[in-house]
Order: sequence, then structure tokens, then C-alpha cells
Amino acid sequence: MAVLAAIHEAILDNGLTVLGVEYTRVPWVSLAFMCKRGAETDPPDKPGVADWTAELLTQGTSRRSQLDLARDIEALGAALAARGGWDATYVHLDGLAEDMETLVATLAEVVTTPAFPEGEFALLRERRRAELVQTADEPREVANRAFARLFFQGAPYGHAVRGELARLEALGLDDLKAWYAREFVPQEGVLVCVGMAPFPRLVAAAAEHFGAWRGGGPASPAWREAPQRLAAPGIYLLDRPELTQSEIRMGHLGLPRRHPDYFPVRLLNYILGEGGFSSRLMTRIRSELGLTYGIRSTFAWRRAPGPFVISTFTPAENTALAVREIRRVVQEVRQAGVTAQELAEAQSYYIGHFPLGLETPRAVARQVLNIGLHALGLDYLARYRERLAAVTLEEVCRAAQKHLHPEDLVTLVVGPAVRVKEPLAEIGPVTEIQAE
Amino acid sequence: MSQETALDPRKWNPEIAIVPFTLDNGLQVLVLPDPTLPVVSVQVHYAVGSRHEAPGITGISHLFEHLMFRGTATLGPEEFSRRLQAKGGEVNAFTTRDHTSYFENLPAEHLELALSLEADRLKHLKLDEENFETERQVVLSERKLRCVDSPFGLVEELLFATAYTEHPYRWPIIGWDQDLRRMTLEDCLAFFRRHYQPGEMLILVAGEAEPERVRELVERYFGDLPPGSREGQRVVEPPQRGERRAVFKKVSQVEALFAGFHTVGLGHPDIYPLMVLASILSQGRACRFYQEFVRPGRAVELEAEVYPPPWTAADPDLFIIRAVAAPGEPLPRLEADLWKALETLQQEGVTELELARAKKLLRSQTVQGLARTFYRGLMVALFHLKAGDGTLANGLLMAYDAVTAEDVLRVARRYLREDNRTVVTLKPVSPEESQVLGPLC
Repeated sequence: MAVLAAIHEAILDNGLTVLGVEYTRVPWVSLAFMCKRGAETDPPDKPGVADWTAELLTQGTSRRSQLDLARDIEALGAALAARGGWDATYVHLDGLAEDMETLVATLAEVVTTPAFPEGEFALLRERRRAELVQTADEPREVANRAFARLFFQGAPYGHAVRGELARLEALGLDDLKAWYAREFVPQEGVLVCVGMAPFPRLVAAAAEHFGAWRGGGPASPAWREAPQRLAAPGIYLLDRPELTQSEIRMGHLGLPRRHPDYFPVRLLNYILGEGGFSSRLMTRIRSELGLTYGIRSTFAWRRAPGPFVISTFTPAENTALAVREIRRVVQEVRQAGVTAQELAEAQSYYIGHFPLGLETPRAVARQVLNIGLHALGLDYLARYRERLAAVTLEEVCRAAQKHLHPEDLVTLVVGPAVRVKEPLAEIGPVTEIQAE
Repeated sequence: MSQETALDPRKWNPEIAIVPFTLDNGLQVLVLPDPTLPVVSVQVHYAVGSRHEAPGITGISHLFEHLMFRGTATLGPEEFSRRLQAKGGEVNAFTTRDHTSYFENLPAEHLELALSLEADRLKHLKLDEENFETERQVVLSERKLRCVDSPFGLVEELLFATAYTEHPYRWPIIGWDQDLRRMTLEDCLAFFRRHYQPGEMLILVAGEAEPERVRELVERYFGDLPPGSREGQRVVEPPQRGERRAVFKKVSQVEALFAGFHTVGLGHPDIYPLMVLASILSQGRACRFYQEFVRPGRAVELEAEVYPPPWTAADPDLFIIRAVAAPGEPLPRLEADLWKALETLQQEGVTELELARAKKLLRSQTVQGLARTFYRGLMVALFHLKAGDGTLANGLLMAYDAVTAEDVLRVARRYLREDNRTVVTLKPVSPEESQVLGPLC
């Protein structure tokens, strides 16, 4: 099998895009329906609508109850899962290749004929309530959510995709139905299939089962803006007296996925904090100082500018030291740039790793979904390695100066205030925030 | 093969080709040639895990795994990872109860580099007090992350510490906090000398690699190691004679219980019906636990789980039930209904539909795994290490397929007995009460 099979495209008469990759390693198919609107279109006072809608699609159709649906799908050894994300909402159905036609039919049934049963909605709300209560016990999750909420100050991308405890009662079944009717339209949909199945057979199955679907609409305009207002740079503290380690998040606004500096910034970030032991942050904070087991920096590549965030944790007594050192590393990279050797290694990592990232149908499907979401072009994967290789040292150093802003970092510490507040106050004023 | 044939699921061959050989010094090698992708997974497994430790040095296998990345006579700390990652490699390691495994998944043309660097750190590892101390701090942070500050980490530790009384599976792989603090570099070096030798090693190369070429390279880089031997170690956990219960109090939003039943190790055929049983109880959405407890909102989570082959421990492992009560659902009521649900199954058995569903789900899971060169390698290596026969990996699909409803009923009755059960409950307390109970570590 070639490393890279072609991505095929067909557009059905109703406007639904079908993208497929013929995959021969194991008899598997990964199917996914993507609606190109996600939690960023949740009504401001109703966080969770997109994600709950996705979940409720799996809870019964006009033909089958949730139990019948689950039984029939699992009898094939297949798995159905749906979720809201930023910029898109996904319904995945993975199963054995021998069942491809049945799986396409089932996915179409779930996506196009949901029953939105009242009883299932009530149960879903209770399950989410329980899950959200439990989330408070997971320091990493608490920190991720608190950071997004603090950083985006009410703009899209700031709320929790799966819903928020204080506003569960604000969501009603009608909100989900209305969201579905507005956003689930074939023109904003992409059906992806990666598996052991010839593309023409897939298109035929898709046409048969999705072809008559018209959907509602008109879909919300795609969100592409930078937020008007963000949290002021500085140090924020969420007190969790029972924790032995602090969770640390430090970030500022990043770039949209379609930004022309995408490749230089991707390489820059590998060197800064994405590249494991090849990264500056891991080298300094873990290998040299032993302050943490793990640290990474991430640019969240979304349709609108997403956050750039550095995430780590450290025993509480090291918190201030870790914050200082992280800031220093970002400053160094911004001012002095990266070395030619670092860049060469980052490029050869991504280029060499390319086939490993395409081993499983699910991994290939993830790439194809991303290509579909951001309209990156069917030749994106074919040209990916040459684009990375073409990035110069000057471009990466320029990207560091242009896109890293150590002075703008919003720092959130989730940890025991008695042990961390004073040392943090030596760096700068500390603002205490409350949990949701 | 034509594209048409390649795209026909009926023509797919799941068999993993295995070419074994042994060097004169006793080092065992398995090659899994597979030309479909230009990648290789290089794996070096050492048959030493937390079970080979003793109180006082618990966690040494895992801490030592970290030290293997801290440099050699010619490479600085973490240079090993950097070099291979720069070729596109995924470089990592993990420690289990029975073994410690290092791997590099990378483009096939860098096979020699991976093997030469693995040999280099085995022969020329360079450790000093300073980098030992740094790594100790890293592992202490890892322990806090995975166990102390995680919602159920310490509850699970207490489950194993209560269920096992004599077998070394009773301590956690990452080790007890105070052992990690008192261990010395000299302890680690003694451990290294004893276990990191050909008698306890398995080298496996899966992917686009010719067996002859692998033999030549392994011979070149590892052939000069002095011969070693594998220490026999047999500890049998005495049969449990009555339920054991323990309570763990910590700051938590939810009540939970972890129950463990002693079962079998990887080499025992009952592992397959036990997997089917776990699937019937809690895999997917049509399963019993989801429909009865999770969907109606009584439990946030209710999972029945046994480590799937080849991850099952070598010696009898626990079948674990993890129940997290939904807020408002009293744990004792949830627990009583949970045991009732098991009793019903033990009396009435499972339906043919349930059985077929579980078997198909397990088949799917196995097929999916076979897409990854790394996983194919692990399957063979772990069966070889723990059950003495790597070819068992090729029998996995058939082993699941052969399970009958009677088998499932039999293992449910045999293992999920009250007398064979250990239950640890998590009881939530306030931060103030938690403080009074003493520090968490």
C-alpha cells in the first residue's frame, strides 16, 4: 500500500460533499458525518446545544429507539459516537468493512431522521449534570475549562462544549431541535469514509441514503472573527486547597487555521513545546529542572483565531518557579529565535513521521475531516511534506517575533492558594477567580 | 495484489508472520516482516516489572525506565529521544507489572539507528547523582498526577493492596511515595546489572524489515553482550476466603466503588470468556450496565473490565468493576443493585444475541488494532513474554469466536463470587476533614 492513497471527492445533488480514501490494511471503515458548525454557534446563554444535539441524534431515530439502534449497531461490532467541537459537529460510525453499506445507511438514518425523544432528552440532561459534577474532581479538566472561560470573556470558544453546570436548566429540547434544523444542512455537511471499500460503491451508498435529504437552514454564518475583548494579561489563581500539584495554563490569542504562517508556526511550536524531548520547554522544565512530568504548548487551529496555550503541572511548592521559567523560555525563543539544527530536526520529524500518522483508518479520517473543514484542498496531504520542507529559518524566527507575545500571557494557576499565592505575588499581582 | 482484491474484506489475511531466532548469548529476537508500509516498530522488552521489586524499592522498574533516557558515554540526557524523533520516530517506554518495554516506531530506513542506540544505552548508560535526582523529582510529579491528585488513583491502589496479600501485584507500578524518596542511585544500578541482560531481553522488529537484515544488525550490536539468564520467580496469591472491604476518604464530588475479583493470567483460556463477560456487562451502549445504570442516570460510570489480551497480567489478574454513583444516588443502593444484576446473570446466563454482539465487538477491536505496526508487534511480544508463546497473538480472533454462552456463565459463576471479592469505596470529605486525615502522598 502506498503511504498515501488519493482522496476522492464527489458532491451529491443535494450539495453534500463526500470524501473518501480507499484503505487496504485492515477490513475496517471509518465513517464520519461532519456538520461545519459547532459549539461556537451555541446561543450565548445556552452552552452545550451543539454537543447535546449531536448526542441526542444517537438516542433514537424515526425508525429505531436508542436501544434498538445500539443493539443493531453493536451486533455488527460497530461503534456510534457523536460530539460537538469547535467549528464543527461530528457523528462517527466505525465498523467492519463487510458492513459498509449497512453502516452508511445507519449513519444517514441517524443524521437525517432523528426522533429527538423527550424522555431521552431528560435523561441526557441528568447524565450531563452528573458528569459535570464529577469533572470538578479532575484538576486538568478544571484548569482547561477555567482557562477558556477566563481567557475568552464570554466570546465564542470560551464556554465548555459539553455544557455548564450553572446553565443546564436553560437548555430545552426545543433549543436542540432548532439548532439541528438550522445547522444540519447538506451544503454545510461532509461525509468522510476511509476504509476497505471502493470509492464508487461508497458514493452509490451515500447517494442512496443521503441523496434525498434536504435539511433545514439557513446555517449560521461561519465564525471567523477575533474576539473583541480578552482577559487582561497577568496571573490568576483558582484555589483548590486539597491539591498537591498546581495545574498551570499560560496563553494568549493564536492564529486561525487558514493563516499564511501556519507552517512556520507549526514548526516553531514543535521547537517551543510540542516536540516532546526535542522542545525547549520540556528540556528546561522537565529535563533540567525536574519540575514536571510533562509540559506542552499548543496552538488551537480553528476557523477563527484559537488560543495558544502552554500546559503543565508541578508540585505546589514549585509553582512560581515554573511560571517564571516558562515565561523565560518563551521570551528567549521570541528574541533569539531557533537554531538551524532545531528547524531541520522539526522538519525531518514531521516528514519522517508522516506515514505513521496514516496507519489507521481513524487517523486518516481525522486528516480528511480537517481538510474538509478548512477547505485545505484534496492535494493537501500530497503537498504537506514539501510545504514543511520549504519553510526557512528566517520565516520561523520571524514567526516567533510576530506570533509569540510573552508580555500578553494570561496565566492561570489551579492549586492550593496557601502554598502558591505568596510566591506568585512576587512575580506580579495575583487575581483570585472562582470556579464555575 | 490488485486494488480490487486489496479492497475485498473477504480476501484479508489477519495472520502475523513471525520469524524467531536466538543469539548465542541467549538473546531472543522476533521479526514480524510486513511490507505494507515503509515503517518499523523496534521494541526492546525486558522481563522485569514491578512484580520483581520488593518493599523498600517499589517503583524502581519504572524509575529506571526513566533513567534509560538520561544519557550514555556519548549522548547527553534525552539525546536518545531527540535523535530518533528527528527522524520522525515515536519514542517512548512503559513499565507494567511484568515487564518494561522500550520502543521506537519510525521510518523503515532508520532501523539500524534505533537498534544501535538501544544497544548504546544498554552498554554505555551513564548516570550520576544529579540526573538521578532530577528524574526522581519527575517521577514524584508523575505519581502526583496519576495517583494522588487524580480522582480515583489512590482508590485503585488500595484495591490492589487489599486484594493481594502476598503477590507483588499488591504495590503500584509507579511505587509508593516514600520508596521513591529513599531509593538511591546505587539501588538503581544494582537493579540494572541484574535485569538488563540477554537472558531477560526480547528484541522485536515489526514492519518493513527483512529477517536476515535484522539478524545481522542485532548480532552486530547485541551479539557481544555476555550471556545472561532469566530468573524464575513464582509467587502464588493464596485463594481469597471471604470478601474484603476498605474505605478511602478524600475530597470528591462523587461516591464511588472499585471492586476486584481474582481471575486468571494471560496464558489461561478463561481470559477469553472473561473478556466476553466484561463486554456483555459494559461495552458499548446496548450492554447491561449502560442500560440499567448509566442511561437512567444512576451511575456516572459503571465499567466491568479485565485487561484485554495481551495486556492481561502474567499471573492471575483482577476483574474490576468501577462504579461512580451519580450525585443523589446513594452508593449502598447502587452497590446492592449492582450485585443483584450480577446474580441475575449468574442464574439466568446470557442470551445468544448478547453473546454474538460481544464477540463481534471484540473481533472489531482486534481487527482495528492490527492496523498499527506497533500494536502488531506488542501483541506478539507480550504473548511471548507473559504466556511463553508469541503465536498466541494469531489465535486471538479464533479464541474469541470459540467462546460459548456456557463458558460465559461458567466464568461468571466461578470468579464473580462474593468470597473472591474486594471492595474499596471512596467516601467524599470536605477539604477541612481531608486535612485532619493527614497529607495525601
